Amino acid sequence: MLRGVLDLCLLAVVFDEPAYGYEMTRRLRERGLSTVGEGSIYPLLGRLEREGLVATHRAASDGGPPRKYYRASPSGRRALAEGVRAWRAVRGEVDSVLATIEAEVA
Amino acid sequence: MTAYVEECRQEWKRLGVPDLLADEMATELESDLAEAQADGVSANEILGESDPRRFAATWASERGLVAEPAPPSRKRRRWIWVAVGLALALVFVVVLGFFAATKASVHTHISGPPPQTVGLAAIPDFVGMKASQALALAANIGLRPEVRQVTRRPPTPGIVVAQTPAAATRLPRGSTVLLRVGRR
Repeated sequence: MLRGVLDLCLLAVVFDEPAYGYEMTRRLRERGLSTVGEGSIYPLLGRLEREGLVATHRAASDGGPPRKYYRASPSGRRALAEGVRAWRAVRGEVDSVLATIEAEVA
Repeated sequence: MTAYVEECRQEWKRLGVPDLLADEMATELESDLAEAQADGVSANEILGESDPRRFAATWASERGLVAEPAPPSRKRRRWIWVAVGLALALVFVVVLGFFAATKASVHTHISGPPPQTVGLAAIPDFVGMKASQALALAANIGLRPEVRQVTRRPPTPGIVVAQTPAAATRLPRGSTVLLRVGRR
């Protein structure tokens, strides 16, 4: 279901503050989004990195091993802004289609 | 779970992913799996895939670390052009014969060389990458990276700050891409 917008969600959770891979999964979960059944985030992170939408650096984590941190790059922030606009448009259209179905079922 | 990561490593090796980057991905995965386990999160939620080889291949290919399949060999392509040439010659002879029979004048057009569309690589956005990452990525997609050090204020040591040509440009494989890297 999330296919296509999970990358937007990943960019969103590292918009203000960098995070390593698992930390991103945790941030999604804290905001109520489970990635169960959506495949792994790593190939998506790989693509975001390849396209320069995230910048990465290595740093020590709190009491743990050094981690690879991701954060949205300037072009990632622009892509996210465009993606959010597109998502809101689609969401509105899908909602209006589904609303009629709901009315018929109820 | 180390067995899973170990199988990933083997797959990356088989696919020709540089050791440096394979190590980076393996370390990242191992730390994240350990932390997930401590949180009581199943490895399956992290991996989303029970087959380590498929997982490793998808990740590396999305990251642009797996070379695209090679274009058909030159020898084979030459045969294709020979065949096309023979077919055109045959058509030409038939048309010429037809016009000669009807005593009409003949104008012919000579077509230019076929467009080169094979073996092109889209230039990634290297800006912001570490030089080592950019070099590995460039080499992997068949580009020849050339590094020039530049001084930036504030300093951006070891980071690509500009590139020529720009990202998304398509160039034949083997082309040189110029990376300007911040001096230490």
